[in-house]
Amino acid sequence: MTSDMTIISTNLNKNILKNYSDYNIITTEFTYDDLLKYSKVIFYNVLNNKREEEIKDLFNYLKEHHIAFINVTNNEEQVLLTDYLIIYGKEKILIEGPTLEVLKQEKLLKRLGIALPFMVELSLLLQDYGLIKDIYLDYKSLEDALWN
Amino acid sequence: MELKDLLNDYGLVGVISTYKFTLDEDQKVEDLNIKNIDKALKMVNLKEEVKDKYLKDLSLDELFKIDLINKLDKEIIIVGNLSNCLNYKDRDFIKKLLLKLVNNYHKKIIVIDNDVKVFFNLVKVVVVVNGKDILYETKDFYDDNLYKYTSSPKIIELVKYLNKEGRNIQKTTDIYELIKDIYRRVS
Repeated sequence: MTSDMTIISTNLNKNILKNYSDYNIITTEFTYDDLLKYSKVIFYNVLNNKREEEIKDLFNYLKEHHIAFINVTNNEEQVLLTDYLIIYGKEKILIEGPTLEVLKQEKLLKRLGIALPFMVELSLLLQDYGLIKDIYLDYKSLEDALWN
Repeated sequence: MELKDLLNDYGLVGVISTYKFTLDEDQKVEDLNIKNIDKALKMVNLKEEVKDKYLKDLSLDELFKIDLINKLDKEIIIVGNLSNCLNYKDRDFIKKLLLKLVNNYHKKIIVIDNDVKVFFNLVKVVVVVNGKDILYETKDFYDDNLYKYTSSPKIIELVKYLNKEGRNIQKTTDIYELIKDIYRRVS
């Protein structure tokens, strides 16, 4: 397991955090300087109002400063910002693994009520139509695969 | 135009902003004295046992639903955080419920969220507000100006990208419509 990961849940509850008692939990607005005090942080549903680029910058900053982090969120797009993903349901881990491997279990995730990130869902559907063969996370690669 | 006028015209208005629950988390659900609570809980798919829980012990989806049923008797219902609190199945369920409240029970509802995706198939007008003032108002999810205030959903970004590259894709907010259109263009 890597130290940086995303947790998404069928019903997000703070009880999940009991499993990560060695992490400092961030639930309100913070500054980058605040984070330097810690070696491990959990962002509990606190990054959802930030733009994707801001979150990427934040995660890069944490990596540069060797601060381990977990992003607990209900936002399916954010799962692509870390390489490891854990899916919780009723406070138990249901699935975990490298993010894209977990996301390929599309039918199970949908049954659990977990949405796929848009580009993953679109890629899988376009695969069903026989139009592409891989999952593309950026627009240019998808366009190249479709039209070239 | 004021928010009140938009509510009179449309019944449901999307507001781009951050929403904070104002419920006192140290009280139990039953202490909220929600009218016809058993019926209300059933309406939002919550079990009766929730009544005995403290608000601070609720999961985010439960908190959202309690916040909603606590306001059902208000003239204007303000709800928020659908994107943060609900998984996608619950989001669809709640969106249908909000539409039913407007169409069948003539409620007026303001939905507050920073994620524009939440407003798809729900509201006809989205506004950006500063206090009581409307800073910006649009009915078009493809309106570039809207995304000065919040992030653009991926489907909108992709369609805009493809059209910039001359692929002539129709503007849509529905992934299945997008796939059909892509299929037509590449086949």
